[in-house]
Amino acid sequence: MTDNDFDLSRRSFIDRVLMATAGAGMAAAAPWASAAALAAPVAKGDRVRLGVIGTGDRGRGLIQNIAKTRNCTVAAICDNFELHLAKGRALVDASTRAFTDHRAMLDAGGLDAVVIATPLDLHKLQSFDAFDAGLHVWCEKAMARTIDDCGAMVKRSQDSGKVLQIGHQRMFKPTYLNAVRRAKEGEIGSLTQIRASWHRQSSWRRPVPAGATDRQINWRLYRDSSAGLMTELATHQIQVSNLFFDAVPTRVMGSGSICFWKDGREVYDHVALIYEYAGGRKLIYTSLLNNARYGCEEQIQGSKGTIEPELGRIYKELPPKELALLRMQADVASGKKRAVPIGGATWFAELPVTTPGEPLGWGEYDETMLQFEGFGEAVRTGKPLPGLLSQAYYASVASLLGEQAMDSGQILAWPTSLVAI
Amino acid sequence: MADVVRFASMGTRVELHRFGAGDDDALTAAQRAIEAVDDALTIHRPSATTALNERLMAGQGAAIDDALLFDALVAIEELHALTLGLFDPAADRRFGPAGWSGIAFDRNTARIEVSQSVALDFGGFGKGFALDRACAVLRAKGVVSACLSAGESSIAVVGEHPLGGGWPFAIAHPLRPDEILVELELTDESVSISSTVGAGTNAPERAAMIRPTDASIVSAPRCTVAVDRLGAHAEAMSTALLVANEDRVERLLNGDWTRRFLFDFPRGAAIPINQPG
Ligand SMILES: NC(=O)c1ccc[n+]([C@@H]2O[C@H](COP(=O)([O-])OP(=O)(O)OC[C@H]3O[C@@H](n4cnc5c(N)ncnc54)[C@H](O)[C@@H]3O)[C@@H](O)[C@H]2O)c1
Repeated sequence: MTDNDFDLSRRSFIDRVLMATAGAGMAAAAPWASAAALAAPVAKGDRVRLGVIGTGDRGRGLIQNIAKTRNCTVAAICDNFELHLAKGRALVDASTRAFTDHRAMLDAGGLDAVVIATPLDLHKLQSFDAFDAGLHVWCEKAMARTIDDCGAMVKRSQDSGKVLQIGHQRMFKPTYLNAVRRAKEGEIGSLTQIRASWHRQSSWRRPVPAGATDRQINWRLYRDSSAGLMTELATHQIQVSNLFFDAVPTRVMGSGSICFWKDGREVYDHVALIYEYAGGRKLIYTSLLNNARYGCEEQIQGSKGTIEPELGRIYKELPPKELALLRMQADVASGKKRAVPIGGATWFAELPVTTPGEPLGWGEYDETMLQFEGFGEAVRTGKPLPGLLSQAYYASVASLLGEQAMDSGQILAWPTSLVAI
Repeated sequence: MADVVRFASMGTRVELHRFGAGDDDALTAAQRAIEAVDDALTIHRPSATTALNERLMAGQGAAIDDALLFDALVAIEELHALTLGLFDPAADRRFGPAGWSGIAFDRNTARIEVSQSVALDFGGFGKGFALDRACAVLRAKGVVSACLSAGESSIAVVGEHPLGGGWPFAIAHPLRPDEILVELELTDESVSISSTVGAGTNAPERAAMIRPTDASIVSAPRCTVAVDRLGAHAEAMSTALLVANEDRVERLLNGDWTRRFLFDFPRGAAIPINQPG
């Protein structure tokens, strides 16, 4: 790809974000997206200098996306596992400083912000250290291992006057934004149920390289460092649900089990939850690791249609068919004779409808890059992207509340003691 | 007096509406008649037909012990000839173009012999055949005015409309349900509608339409309508018209433009939809 090609596809991507977020309704629903899309490019020497903590799978992906931005640059990297740090080094200039300890990186200075892509249980400590060093923080989802820690991160960001942004790339994806816009415009009627799933065929267990421990590499599988499917996968989809319902849940109930991968892991490999929202609306959520048939999707179901943003499609409900023969009965009773409409529709049992639907949007995905352009702009202006942090906070809280509901077997109400944003 | 029964049978929703005279148990008896046909002819659960198919698929002959199945085979033999071989419940892509012509059915000995593997799928014929038997039961029970529907693509009426004269029906365009293809009046008749497009054509239990002459799948957008004294005949004719190529269409329509209709739609006229209910 030449630079020119990149500029063109970048331009069209940004245009799509702007198109999807145009209009007053969307300015209220997803204000962060247009703010990010309108971020001004910055001369190379003035870019926001980021120190990336954690150059594992995600961290390296982030480094590549940051390189595509026009206002951020990776100024330092850090990983306490030499093998991963070396892989991170391979992605940056030789002049980029590399550290094995994040405090050493903070002490060395020369940064405006940190990017945290480490295991969940480290997010709070590392973000605190960064705020204390006077830096802004971009941190991967989920926010933290406990609801209190999530709140503490929000609070610390507020108290320090520094930006805290959490990585939820779907919120910058034109297909999603377009879907939200169309739902807001009433195209699928009144939304009553979202059925979301993330089903995989995978043990989720990674091979442990020499020099590393299982808990270090497979931190997702252990309770100290992860809430498993809830914090790793469900967070994304609960956020989507909150966004479409324009609310946070009122209660959650659920059941979790280690049902298939009985390999010493501590987190559930099978979860099923119901999140209730005001007015009787529901998110029905399932995630599992031994069947991929239904994959990853949020089925947003309204009285007039359905949106499936992962597939990028919108479906219209067909109006219920008039029962022609029933009408004939009424006609005869009132002495009327008129033609009975029939044909075409042989009635079948109520099987899933397989109408192809219409495409929702666009298939180019540069949303992770856009998250950073938004962050770069927030750091430069000292103003967080509007509306974004509360989305992330509530999604993390909801995923952790779901974990508690499954563990306790209780129906749990939405916490009343959250930090106000 | 008007009464109605609704039940699921023949893989669809069946409705029987009776107006005026007739025995109290007429509708129940008609329902039983339809269920008996379903029991004998279904291939979706064990039946006389699945037992027969097992033998036919193994290339073996068989005696037909089931009276209903026997009657159905008699009707089919006649209809296969009447439709120039285009109505063929043995057309099956797995077995090539042999179809019904690979079957020797001897009604005197009630035996079937086959020269190669075949299998029977009565499909729409079963619905027409079942409605015929239900109409016969209703007439025998003194009913003079009734309307029977099996999934709205197969309709039969007994006698006249309760307000006198024929029963008026408007047949909807399969792709644009607000438009009417044709209006018909029926008296003591049946109508069958077949379509390669529109609601239900992709339903899982629905087999693809096969052209018996070359065992190809018929996919051109077409809708056909046939009216006949007997539902089984109407079904066979609408199916035959659906798979017929031009020269046979001419011969099947046979100048009888008031009782048989064929509508070809431009390819890609609309996305086929599949909406149950
Ligand atoms: N937004 C998304 O779609 C998405 C996708 C994948 C992962 N993630 C998130 O990214 C984060 C990391 O996940 P991952 O898959 O990259 O995990 P990973 O295990 O591959 O990477 C984590 C890295 O952190 C390093 N690390 C651990 N402790 C450290 C410390 N004290 N100091 C410095 N480095 C340390 C590890 O050595 C490892 O390289 C998680 O929060 C995860 O939820 C987000």
